[in-house]
Parts: sequence; C-alpha cells; structure tokens
Amino acid sequence: LDLSNCSLQSVPPGLAEATAAIILDLTENPLTAVPSASFLGFTQLQSLAVPLALECPGGSDAWQNVTVDRSSRLCQGQRNPCNSSVQLAWPCPENSVCAPDGPGLVQCLCDSPFHGYKCLREGPFPMLLFGGILGAATVSLSLLLWGTQRRKAKSP
Amino acid sequence: MAVPGGLRRQPANRGLVSHCTHHHIVVFLLTFFSYSLLHASRKTFSNVKVSISRQWTPSCQNSTAPELRPYELWNSSHLFPSAEEATLFLGTLDTIFLFSYAVGLFVSGIVGDRLNLRWVLSFGMCSSALVVFSFGTLTEWLHFYNKWFYCCLWVVNGLLQSTGWPCVVAVMGNWFGKAGRGFVFGLWSACASVGNILGAFLASCVLKYGYEYAFLVTASVQFAGGVIVFFGLLTSPKEVGLPELGADEDEASVEEDANRPLMGNDDVDDDDQNYSIQATDNDNQPKAIGFFQACCLPGVILYSLAYACLKLVNYSFFFWLPFYLSSNFGWKEAEADQLSIWYDVGGIIGGTIQGLISDVLQKRAPVLAVSLLFAVGSLFGYSRSPNNKLINAVIMAITGFFIGGPSNMISSAISADLGRQDLVKGSSEALATVTGIVDGTGSIGAAVGQYPVSLIQENLGWMWVFYFFILM
Repeated sequence: LDLSNCSLQSVPPGLAEATAAIILDLTENPLTAVPSASFLGFTQLQSLAVPLALECPGGSDAWQNVTVDRSSRLCQGQRNPCNSSVQLAWPCPENSVCAPDGPGLVQCLCDSPFHGYKCLREGPFPMLLFGGILGAATVSLSLLLWGTQRRKAKSP
Repeated sequence: MAVPGGLRRQPANRGLVSHCTHHHIVVFLLTFFSYSLLHASRKTFSNVKVSISRQWTPSCQNSTAPELRPYELWNSSHLFPSAEEATLFLGTLDTIFLFSYAVGLFVSGIVGDRLNLRWVLSFGMCSSALVVFSFGTLTEWLHFYNKWFYCCLWVVNGLLQSTGWPCVVAVMGNWFGKAGRGFVFGLWSACASVGNILGAFLASCVLKYGYEYAFLVTASVQFAGGVIVFFGLLTSPKEVGLPELGADEDEASVEEDANRPLMGNDDVDDDDQNYSIQATDNDNQPKAIGFFQACCLPGVILYSLAYACLKLVNYSFFFWLPFYLSSNFGWKEAEADQLSIWYDVGGIIGGTIQGLISDVLQKRAPVLAVSLLFAVGSLFGYSRSPNNKLINAVIMAITGFFIGGPSNMISSAISADLGRQDLVKGSSEALATVTGIVDGTGSIGAAVGQYPVSLIQENLGWMWVFYFFILM
C-alpha cells in the first residue's frame, strides 16, 4: 500500500480498513505524530516506511530491522509482541492468551475451551442431554404419582 | 365399599406408625421436595453472585496497566462501573426480594386457606420458575441488561415464591397429627436446607458453562416439580376418604359428630342420613379465619418477632456466605459454594434433633432458648475462624446447627401447633394463615437486615457484620 507523497497531515481514517497490508509506505508526508493505536490490526505488516520525523510504531523493539535513510525510516520484520518484556511483566487475565494485534500491540483472546465475555465460560452446555433427562423424569414421575394418588381423589 | 362404623373411632394410641399410609409418605416427599426446589432457585442466585458481578462490570482497571483489547471481550459491559457497585445492587436485590416475599407470605396464607392448596402451590412453583428463567437466562441470551427489569422480576419472584411455604405447611398439617409432630416436622423442615444444598450443588456443577445455565437448570427443575406436584399431591386426607385428623384427636364425642363425616365414601347411609350430615358439613365448612383473628392467637406475635430476628441471621448467612468466603479468604467461587453446604447440614441435623427433643419434653420454648444461647457462642467462634477449610467447615456446621435448628422448628412445627390450637378448632384451615404471618414477620426482619449487612460490610468490614449478628 503506497501512500507516499500524499500530503497527509495526519493518519487518514480509512487506513484502519487496510489491515491486510503487508507493505505500507507513508514517506514524504508532513506527518507529525501518529498514535500507535492507528496500527491496530496490522498483524501482517512486514515492511513499513515512515518519514524520518516519526518513530517506528511500537518502538525499535517491535521490529527486527530498523534502517534509517536520508528522508525516511524503514521498519522491517514485525516481531511477535507477545515475547517482549512488557508483555511478560503484565500478562493476560485468566483463561486468555496473548495474541499480536499490530506492531507493538497485544490483545488477549480466550484460550481454547473458554468463550464469552471475559472468557468466563468453559465449553458448550449439554442442552439436549439435560432436556432429555429432565423431560423423561418429569413425565414418568407425574404419571406414576397420578396413578397412585390422585386417581382416587374425590372432587370437592 | 361399606366400611363398618366401628372403624370410625380409632383406638387411643396414636403414634406415628399407626395410620401411616403410602399417601403420607408421598405427601411428605412431595412437599419436602417442592419447597426444596423453591429454595434451590433462591440459593442459585446467591451462589452466582460473583459471576454475575463480573458479567456486569468492565475489567478491572489499574491506572498503570494498558487497556485490554478486544474491547467487546473485556470492557463492553458497563451496567455497573465497578464491582463494589454491583455488590451493592445485589444486596438491594436481596432486600427487595425478601420484602416482596414477606408481603406475599401474608397474602398467600390467606389465599391458600381459601383456594385449593394444590393449585396454588403448583401455580406458584411454575410461574416462579418462569420468572427466574427470564431473570437469569433470557437476559443473558438476549444480552439485555437493565437494572429496573431485574428489580421488577425479582419482586414478582418474591411474591410467587411466597406461595410455597404456607401451602406446604398446611398440607403437612392436614396429614400429620400432633403426636409425632415435633419429630416429623423437624425432619421435614430440613427441606429448606436440603434445597440449599441442592441449589448449591447444581449451581457449582453448571457454573463453568456460564451463570445463565445455573439459572436455567434450577428454573427448569422447579417447573418440572410444579408439574409433578399438580399431578400427584393430595392436599388432605379427606380427598381420598381417609379420616380427617381433627376428628381423631378429640375425646369429646360431641365435637366428633359436629365434624364432617369421617368416611366420605360411605354410601351405605340412606338419603336422610346423608342429607343431615351434609347440612352439618355446610355449617362447619372450613372457614378460613380472618387476618387479625389469626394475629391475636396466643403466641403468634411472640413467636413472629423471635422468628424475625432468627431469620435475619439465617438469611444473611444464606445470602452472603459464599461471597464472604471468596472475598475474605480468596477461595474460588465453586469451593466456597461447596463449603457453604456445611451450614445447611448443621441446620438439618439441628432441626431434626431439636424437634425430637421438644417432642419428648412436650415443650418447645426451652429447647429454643438453650439453642439460641449456644448460637451466640458459635457465631463468636465463627467470626474468629482461621483460613483453614476443615476448621471453617466444622465451625460452620455447628453454627448452622444452633441457628438453623430453632429457625426450622419455629417455622414449621410451632406454626402447625399454633394453627391447630383449640381456639381455632372450628376453623382449622387457619393453618396457612398463621404460617403466613409467622413467616412473613420473619421475612420482614430478614429483609430489613439485608441492606445493613451490605452497608456494614462495605464500610466496616466483615467483623462488624458478625457483631451485628450476635446482637440479634
């Protein structure tokens, strides 16, 4: 995705939809500061070129290779942020695991059998089994009791 | 089938065994389990409090830790901004439940005396099951979280659940005579504690799938119970033509004649005889007594107030124990649930043994007084108990024994005694009304106490909660 020389003052709002980009070129734009959240979702990004004034998003630790040119900075080889020191200091909550979410950005997704809000729920509920057992027990008990008890009842 | 007249007057030695038919056993079990199921659904709510408050709040925010992503997974539920507010709201829900339960008890006692007990009971069970289902399960499936909706549903639930207790006590009173009443009722009043255990067990099994399934399970089992009760319950011996209990216990033959005919299916009588018996029957149609008349019976007010205090403590334990265990000692919710079962076990044993003792002694009040003294001591011991599961369980059982025991006894055996006293012999259907009054006052006391409990806990910590209990 080539956005060089587009006279961008700030990150265009449509950028968020281009998360599948592998190569992104933002050079020769009068960009001043870019919030790191604008690269949310760019997990496939392997090569990012930014104007010299900008740092690589996520810092130099997030990239394997940072080369500085006369007029641009080239960030190459996005590292998995889940191995970084920041992540190890503050891990994901219970039942969830770290997953990359862009350069230097992490998200916590639910671990395998867990799902639902805050990963509180484990596994699917055996609805059919439960309904079947309950229904059968109810019907048989009702019939049994009706036969032995109420059949002899007089109406008041 | 002609029944010889000699059988009309049963021999003097009553005792439990002499007229115990399979009907008695079935009635015992049915009423036992129907009330257990009602209690189980209440217990479910208190057991899943931790999960619900987690569902209603966004993830814990330390200002230093970066925000969790993805947003929908961790922070999207903003019903309450923090766990403390959620806790307060849960306490409020408990309070309004108990208030509406108390109001409903006063009403249901009167209603139950006038309508067919079987209909009232199964209607109450089934509709309460539906309300609990929509409270816990529907709101989660539809992702519809609304505080007012929860409050309204819980008020309705309180009113519906209140139909249970007066009805089951009245049915038991119809079937079981005064002789073995203390023991039988003591054993039977374990139904509340069994319901707690059942609810705790079901909830802890299903909790891992999500709290909505805990509600689903208890609601559907309760609904099934309501259906079974409808098909299987006989509200009183006269429905199958067995001797009505009031008649057996009288020595005076005058009163015996005045009561409705003992053998309802006795068609050997010729028409004149039948007609005169019918006339007497109409005169002595069980008149449910008025509310104020019931209040003025001796002992009703006294026991009601005592029961109010007891029930406050009992219900506070009931509602807050799992929460206390997991927040104070950091145990996991499922373990806390399982341990809180021990309190109910103590209550069961206590109710039975104390009922037995009071039967043997023929006096109920002294047993209650002694037990309450011990209760104070055991509460004190519990407030100091250490973070050791075994010791905690033992002390909890002892506390349950001394608090739950008299509580069970007052609510069941004594209510049945009061309702069937000599003063109301003519209108013996007062039982449900009296039970409603005693239990209603108890519930008001418990309701009033709930809100202070959560307030005290928030501000002063758990030790003060225990001191408050001891005061009561």
